[in-house]
Amino acid sequence: MLWRLAIRNIWRNRRRTLLTLSAMVVSSALLILCLGIFSGMLKDMLASATEQYFGHLEISTKGYQEDRDMFANFSVSDDFLLLLQPQVLGFSPRLRSFGLLSGQDKSSPVELLGVEPERERQVTSLQDHLQAGSYLLADDHEGALIGAGLARRLAVKPGDQLVFVTQAADGSIGNDLLTVRGVFATGDQGHDNGLVLVALPWLQQLLVLPGRLHEIAVRIEHPLQAAAFAAQLRQKLPTTLEVLDWGELLPEMREVVASYDVSRLIIVSILYVATGLGILNTFFMSVMERTREFGVLMAVGMRPGQVRLMVLLETLAMGLLALLIGVVFGVLLSLYMAYVGIDLSGSLTPITYAGGTILPRLHAVLEVTNVLVPAAVLLLVCLLAGFLPANRAARMQPVVAIREE
Amino acid sequence: MELLNLAWKNLWRSRRRTLITLAAVSFSLMLVQGSHNLSFGVYSAMIDSGVRAGTGHLVVYQRDYVDSRDEKFSFAPQQLVEQIGQLDGVEAVLPRLFLPGLAQSTRESRGVLVTGVDSQAEQRINPFLKGMSLEQLPSLSGREAVVGSRLLKELQLKPGNKFVVTLQSRDGELVSEMFRVHSVVTTGMKNIDKSLLLVGRERAARLAGIPGEIQELAVVLRDQQAEQAVYPKLQRLLKDRPQLRALSWTEAMPNLSNAIKLDYASSQFIFIILLLIVTIGVINTLLMSVMERFKEFGVILAVGASALRLRILVFAEAFLLGVVAMVLGSVFGSLLTWYLQAVGIDLRDFMEGNLEFGGVVFDPIMRASWDWPYMLQIAFFMLLLSLVAAIYPAIKAGRILPAEALRHH
Amino acid sequence: MSLIELKSVSKIYPLGNQQVVAVANLSLKIKAGEFTVLAGPSGSGKTTLLNLIGCLDQPSEGEVWLDGHNVGKEEAKQLAKLRLNKIGFIFQSYNLIPVLTAAENAEFTLMLLGIDKVKRRQRIVELFAELGLQGLEDRNPSDLSGGQQQRVAIARAMAAQPAVILADEPTASLDLQTSEDLLALMQRLNETQGVTFVFSSHDPLVISHARRVVSLRDGCLESDR
Repeated sequence: MLWRLAIRNIWRNRRRTLLTLSAMVVSSALLILCLGIFSGMLKDMLASATEQYFGHLEISTKGYQEDRDMFANFSVSDDFLLLLQPQVLGFSPRLRSFGLLSGQDKSSPVELLGVEPERERQVTSLQDHLQAGSYLLADDHEGALIGAGLARRLAVKPGDQLVFVTQAADGSIGNDLLTVRGVFATGDQGHDNGLVLVALPWLQQLLVLPGRLHEIAVRIEHPLQAAAFAAQLRQKLPTTLEVLDWGELLPEMREVVASYDVSRLIIVSILYVATGLGILNTFFMSVMERTREFGVLMAVGMRPGQVRLMVLLETLAMGLLALLIGVVFGVLLSLYMAYVGIDLSGSLTPITYAGGTILPRLHAVLEVTNVLVPAAVLLLVCLLAGFLPANRAARMQPVVAIREE
Repeated sequence: MELLNLAWKNLWRSRRRTLITLAAVSFSLMLVQGSHNLSFGVYSAMIDSGVRAGTGHLVVYQRDYVDSRDEKFSFAPQQLVEQIGQLDGVEAVLPRLFLPGLAQSTRESRGVLVTGVDSQAEQRINPFLKGMSLEQLPSLSGREAVVGSRLLKELQLKPGNKFVVTLQSRDGELVSEMFRVHSVVTTGMKNIDKSLLLVGRERAARLAGIPGEIQELAVVLRDQQAEQAVYPKLQRLLKDRPQLRALSWTEAMPNLSNAIKLDYASSQFIFIILLLIVTIGVINTLLMSVMERFKEFGVILAVGASALRLRILVFAEAFLLGVVAMVLGSVFGSLLTWYLQAVGIDLRDFMEGNLEFGGVVFDPIMRASWDWPYMLQIAFFMLLLSLVAAIYPAIKAGRILPAEALRHH
Repeated sequence: MSLIELKSVSKIYPLGNQQVVAVANLSLKIKAGEFTVLAGPSGSGKTTLLNLIGCLDQPSEGEVWLDGHNVGKEEAKQLAKLRLNKIGFIFQSYNLIPVLTAAENAEFTLMLLGIDKVKRRQRIVELFAELGLQGLEDRNPSDLSGGQQQRVAIARAMAAQPAVILADEPTASLDLQTSEDLLALMQRLNETQGVTFVFSSHDPLVISHARRVVSLRDGCLESDR
């Protein structure tokens, strides 16, 4: 009964209700869109660090990720890898080396990752960023996949020969030939200018580290739950090995993610204070207009508590309605931005910081929190904004109220 | 004048409504001004620190070194260092040489960017070298090297240890040279700490087979604002050497300038939503106040006012509302800015570790600085918005039919 | 020549799906200096007729002439101008602007005419003296009695010296004595200053003061004496 009354009341002044609703819808829909885009940027940034390089977790010898000591290598049994298999989306055993890579007449310092191509592509997504040539094939012994910036510097293209020189584990200088198979461009300058993927056996041979690994990169389904997964995995590992999640590998990135959570709340509160003041205004007006009516309701026996409840129900009904429309619009806008997006590469270059790269595009990601937070806060704001007018309505003296014109 | 007087009185007929509306508008204005000024201050600090560690406010390169980073684009500075140094507003001129190479210890090798610098000039300017004395920096042609802390660790070196740098000289040969770890630098940015290697410029140039040449001439100004004034003078100095190009930091450090652009664009987007919401609120208020006075407007029309007068009256009310909000909001915005400037926001309270943005480490205390033209501009924009908000209510008011309005109760 | 002339005027309002005939084929002439009452029960078309004469409304059929202007043919802008220059209005519920003082209300039309402040004040002082409102200039309408408010409304109507003052049930909200005083005042203004008055009323007291009574019933002219 009170609900029905409340809903009818909010339609009495349709224009005012619509305007107030529109403010609520605009704020919640655009907030959802905006948070979706910010999440998209964050995801791009995280992806450039994880899906293009680290993976979500790294298993390595204790301390290896600190200084990447060539001698901090290990070997694992196939049994262990098979144990890992069912729990992850992918894992990739890797050996790493730093050295000088030369083309025809140019050379450049690079980081080499020796990988098993079929496993590596389960972890990183460089195969989706090929600019020329193809990804490494499973049985390709001397192929190399190099970054676009590096390819330009060395003036090489797929099919060209490269020479890699480095210090091997036995102290000798190792050098051997590679053939460029493909060129990738991720937008991340660090990777594009200095990362090379080669076959694991080739690198093991060059470094004189047969059968040895530096790390196993792991990709899991929910990157934000990497820390929990790492803790679980830790118990199954020999004590000489450690598992680091991306947050530990990239503390800067973890801070960016944490600060994003804070700024999301700040943005939501700022916009909703403005929206809340609008709602407060509308409900004060509507309560003051109906002074006489409240007087009559109370004179015929409605208790102040019920009057208060009725006004609160009105704000709540309006909030729910706004929420429904706002969420639908917000999700639609986000979906549009998720599937179509806006390309900004004309006016912006990729931005690298905190170990990741933000791509020059507006691209939304739909996350439940990005819908839930604006939705929940909107309802809260509605109730808060309804509280003062509701109290005011409940405090009216029936006799005075009826007399009022 | 009488009209404004009437509008002013009308504004205060519903005091609560006007106050709430004013609160919403001035709150938004305060936030927009305050947060813009905070961004303005933080960006200035970042740019300042960024250009000092990076390319300077203005930079001279040969041809398209900025894009290709091809070390063959080196040049002899000749008199340029002295000439540019004498320009008004120039604080320092930093000649630099960048050579990608391999640093090798007895155990490990790592790719590095060997940077040849003039310690004397660099020490005063480069924030990475803050707190270091000239003795701790490499001499122009000695074997001393300043090494990033992470690089030191990865190479398994200790201060005083020797290591070898191998790079490709101009004629294509791989050449090596021994350097000694003289000092260690921690910037807080992993990418820099694991690749920073500063050596004497002359030593590096001779190793690369290009004695006396450099790739970058970074020009640091005393004041960021002087860029516009110094740029043409710099270009005049370069006019005899057409292969040399002067660039602004925004072109030379696209990462930083784009990071700022993107950050600013995101906050602009939030501002736009905020202003939109506030404008809807103002429309609502004005419309309510018009609808409430339906009969009164009928009377005003009956005694001979034209519809245009009524519209002007509504606009006058919106104008006054806007002016008051503009003044109040600017006062609050100034107070907020003042607070953010004097006290600032200490990010160390919220997070640990170093703060990096767009490839620049910045001061953990964010401080606002005054951008008066912007504050004024946005305040007037607010006023404009309240006038825009009055359009629909004014049209409504102008359409009132007096005979009908007079029947209204 | 008549100041006001209605030629076979009809006014039809839509009301839902129906059409309400408020005034039906009515013709009437009023000369300058007359003191006329439009009498009749509520719903007889008095207010509609006043609105038509007062340029607040336009006829559905026929012609309304005011001081040489065909009201039915004028633009909204021109109508506002006519109201400002030719007509003074007095309403049953006074309808003073609540945020303005008594004097400011009275000089409102002068302000609309763009007359400067000093001249306006002069005229208001004169008028207030004439209407017995001295000393009340700076009061707000809410601080005035009904009779005082209606006298301020008369002052507002007279300020710009219009050709005719139209009063819709001017005494309906007032007590008997106040009504009597007010009517006497208006009659005096009519006689001494030659102000033309057209009233609507169903109050016998008002009708008794009138020199000409036009009776209306169901939008038609019933009698004119």
